[in-house]
Amino acid sequence: MITSKRIEEAAFQAIKSGSTDISSDVREAFIKAISRESDSGARDGLEKTLESIKLAEEYERPSCADTGWPIFYIKAGNEAQIEGGFMALEEAIRDGVRRATKEGYIRKTMKHPLTGFDPGDNIGANIPDFTYQFVPGDSIEITYCAKGGGSECFGGTRQKVVAFADGTKGIEKFVIDAFADAARAGAICPPSIVGVGIGGTANVAANLAKEAACLRLVGSHHPEENIRTIEERLYKGINGLGFGILGAGGSTSALAVNVEYAYTHIAGIVVAISCNCMVARRATYRISADDSIIKLACANWFGDR
Amino acid sequence: MAEYHLTAPLQDEDVLQLHIGDTVYLSGPAFTCRSKLQRYIFDEGHELPFIPEEGSILIHNGPIVVKREDGWELMSFMPTSSIRFEKWGADSVEKWNLKLICGKTTMGDNTSKAMKKFHCVHVSPRSVSPLLWLKSISIEGVDLFEEMGSIEAPWHFVLNELGPFVVDMDCYGNNLFDKIDEIVADNKQKVYRDLDIPSDFRYTKLYDNKNTCEP
Repeated sequence: MITSKRIEEAAFQAIKSGSTDISSDVREAFIKAISRESDSGARDGLEKTLESIKLAEEYERPSCADTGWPIFYIKAGNEAQIEGGFMALEEAIRDGVRRATKEGYIRKTMKHPLTGFDPGDNIGANIPDFTYQFVPGDSIEITYCAKGGGSECFGGTRQKVVAFADGTKGIEKFVIDAFADAARAGAICPPSIVGVGIGGTANVAANLAKEAACLRLVGSHHPEENIRTIEERLYKGINGLGFGILGAGGSTSALAVNVEYAYTHIAGIVVAISCNCMVARRATYRISADDSIIKLACANWFGDR
Repeated sequence: MAEYHLTAPLQDEDVLQLHIGDTVYLSGPAFTCRSKLQRYIFDEGHELPFIPEEGSILIHNGPIVVKREDGWELMSFMPTSSIRFEKWGADSVEKWNLKLICGKTTMGDNTSKAMKKFHCVHVSPRSVSPLLWLKSISIEGVDLFEEMGSIEAPWHFVLNELGPFVVDMDCYGNNLFDKIDEIVADNKQKVYRDLDIPSDFRYTKLYDNKNTCEP
């Protein structure tokens, strides 16, 4: 039986780790970016950011003061036995958010959208956000993501319906144009991890884009050749724009471009983009059927990527 | 591109020497704000409970601060995006006696005009490095904590060589990011060519905007 106590602990540890200890694929991407960056000021910025990321882990401090929207992805084993069921699981995760907020691993950022009311614990209507995937097995995997305000609010998240008449060119142009608007003056905290969702209804495309940005391993590629080609072309294109770290000029504007797709209606293709901050924060914990918890290297949300 | 080490309260000559692209490190007193404070003061007409002295430094920022038995502990600090405070930028420069605003991104034309008139600059980070900055910031106090909450309340910091930041708006009306825009516009044409996107590409219109306010 997976207990509420362990779920709360796993959620808290995922938040603490996600907030303070950047995952190894993102660190690797920083090291590569530093070696490739042609602008000395931008290279210095990347080096300072990586140095700060290392210190954040050492001193257990949030690697960015904006800890974003708290969002959770749950891979639930079809045979998993959860004390109190899924409603209890969500309440235990909310308890983890409360504890992490109190201890300063997430900022008191979530507010009522109209009144500005601050609950003080980041808990409110539809927040935190939960997304589920059901898989074979009897364990539960909880991934915490901090979706930063900069990357979400300044044009790095948007969508467009492209006609089949405009095809791949229309899709690629939309991503380049959207990124070029959003990265101005470093608003979305580039170099970004760019997620692109193609197809499905608007919410499906938007979710795929967000999951591609927040969950995919940096450095991974889509297994289908035509999607991988789009990833590579857009990665090269975005890095050719010249924004650099925080938009002040440089040759590294994206750490990755991750594309996911869904089948769509013959009437049109929704294309969604979602950018994640350079300080991409996520962490995954598994709770096994014997109620033990272990940290995983990545979310494995899209198979092994 | 020169490097400057500035100490608040700043004098006219401190900021008049700065040009876009210069690097600055900041010392001395500074206070923080976000939109809740500016709305409270400029839109709702409340009084700021302190008088910013001539030559003040404002940091657009919502820190993570935890209350400990022996006082406030700053857990993380990152300048936040200034562009969304544009509505109150000119008023802030004038009424809060600012000579320097530190924030992510940049500000718009109205603030730029006020910066030219009152001699003020905007500086922006080129890294996300809170852990390198924490040692340069000590918390002196906070105002309006009950009204604003811990993120949006004006915190009073004393800075010790906080930086580096790049001057993105000087007091001559120049903006670093306008220069970057020109570079990006040229690069974008090359990217289109690389992706075989014709320069005259037009999207098939799936709906028109006659009945909406979309541009």
